[in-house]
Amino acid sequence: MPNTSKNIRLLNELTQMFSELEQQKIALDYSAIVAITDIKGNIIYVNDKFCIISKYSKEELLGKNHRILNSGTHDKLFFKELWKTISRGKVWSGEIKNKAKDGSYYWVHTTIVPYLNEENLPFQYVSIRFDITQKKEQQEKLVQQKIALDSAAIVAITDVKGEITYINDKFCKISKYSKNELLGQNHRIINSGYHEKDFFQNLWSTISKGQIWTGDIKNKAKDGTYYWVSTTIIPYLNDMGKPIQYVSIRFDITKQKQQEEELKNRAKLLEDFCFIVSHNLRAPISNLPVLVSMIQNCDTFEKQKEIASKLSKPVNVLLETFNELVESLHVRNDVNIQTEYVDFFECYNLALENLCIDTYNFEIEILHDFSLITSIYYSKKYLKSYFINLISNAIKYRDPNRKLKIIVKTKKINNSIQLSVEDNGLGIDMKKYGDKLFGLRKTFHENPEAKGFGLFITKTQVESLGGSIMAVSEPNEGSTFIIKFN
Amino acid sequence: MKKINSIFVIDDDDICQYIAVSIIEHSELVKHTKVFNNGKEAIIYLENNCQILENIPEIILLDLTMPVMDGWEFIENYIKLKPRIGKKVYIYIISSSINPYDFERAKNISEVSDYIVKPLTLEGFTELVKFITK
Repeated sequence: MPNTSKNIRLLNELTQMFSELEQQKIALDYSAIVAITDIKGNIIYVNDKFCIISKYSKEELLGKNHRILNSGTHDKLFFKELWKTISRGKVWSGEIKNKAKDGSYYWVHTTIVPYLNEENLPFQYVSIRFDITQKKEQQEKLVQQKIALDSAAIVAITDVKGEITYINDKFCKISKYSKNELLGQNHRIINSGYHEKDFFQNLWSTISKGQIWTGDIKNKAKDGTYYWVSTTIIPYLNDMGKPIQYVSIRFDITKQKQQEEELKNRAKLLEDFCFIVSHNLRAPISNLPVLVSMIQNCDTFEKQKEIASKLSKPVNVLLETFNELVESLHVRNDVNIQTEYVDFFECYNLALENLCIDTYNFEIEILHDFSLITSIYYSKKYLKSYFINLISNAIKYRDPNRKLKIIVKTKKINNSIQLSVEDNGLGIDMKKYGDKLFGLRKTFHENPEAKGFGLFITKTQVESLGGSIMAVSEPNEGSTFIIKFN
Repeated sequence: MKKINSIFVIDDDDICQYIAVSIIEHSELVKHTKVFNNGKEAIIYLENNCQILENIPEIILLDLTMPVMDGWEFIENYIKLKPRIGKKVYIYIISSSINPYDFERAKNISEVSDYIVKPLTLEGFTELVKFITK
């Protein structure tokens, strides 16, 4: 009975296999969305999970073409490729967006396995799908967030060494570099040199520890202009907590910074004016009523005359201070100051005339040299005022123990025109007064004529036309004032 | 009313000096008045006279904004000198500044007895002497 026993054994094996297959089917049905279609795509089998996700009943689906679930998301080519693959007997897999009975959409990761007959031609297709709707929605959200971020912020990604690996369009637009010029470069390429070393050391030590850094940074664009960005740098960490790259998100705050700067300047100006009003104006004013009441209360005419003579000084100081205050206000508001080609020598002569230089009863040696730069496109009014203020300054602070010598000259350094006024006067202790020199705060000598106004006005005028002024001085040796024109 | 022996006026402005001296003389409350043009002149005098009690004033009327050494710098230097001066000196700031920052700064210096906004008046000065001779 060997055949019989063999048959029984085979039957047992078959039963065993069948039950294993049955179990695998249960496992598959439990985890996946399963459908079988004929070669035309007509549904001949669906499992429960298929019905649940598509919201159709089995009866509604069986015999229908699979197109019933088409969402219209994918183009014709997509399905053409799919059919081309499976009709050749090959497995296809991909992500498909389907439409449920109630009109809602769902995404499925799909694998279609063709079952082949003896001639190796497909006679039906088994599709196994997994619901990936949630993942897809998250992806979609991320993409939308990226679009939102890219349209709002300046975004860059660098590796741990600071080499740029990604930048968005806004980054290129503000830095004026192209993507190709920036990718692979170190982030230092846009360093403006404005911040101290400590600033970037602090930044790097923060992010390399895996912490988020925020702050305002001044950067330099390709064309040399500067821009300010409010910056947040987020380190992306690996499983060990070590940064693998840095994502920086910036917002352009150049305008705010400029306004801030302007506000600061205005506050400083206001403070200066407060000081003038509080001291330079208030001081002589406060003297007047006292002197008047002293005149009213004194007994003799002689005494009255004496006190009355004291009135003239505060009155003159008031008048002068008032005029200077108006002048410096005028400079601030002189937006459309007239500029023209101005001859240095001509302005210099006008200033000397104005100062009545040869009527001074002491000797001054004043030399000029405008041979290197003879003229400049500038405001004649201001240039004359610089000569007057700087030369009269040198005269006021002359050293009584030696003959005053003033040298006025022009030159060109690094493409910028400079005017210098050098004297051998008392000099100024720059260590003590350097930062206050051009303010209204102080005068630096025991000099009755010192009011400390001229330099303030000169500085205001120079800066309003984009230049700068500086002083070099040694006590008892003399001072040199240098104006750099823009 | 009790008189005081000596007073210093430290002010760079000659009109202010004139007014202060006139008021002091008019009050007839002070025997000697000494005038300095800035803090430095006064500090040098105090340094040279700190052992001579009769040359040390009871009152200093101190202006704030002055060239060379201003009122604040004078106070700094005075504080350094103070241990060598064997006498109580009342320092009154007499300034035209109405800047609240200056008021606050003066308040925080214990050596400053009070802050008087210019002009100094006879009534104000009489009150001041009355207060310290009490």
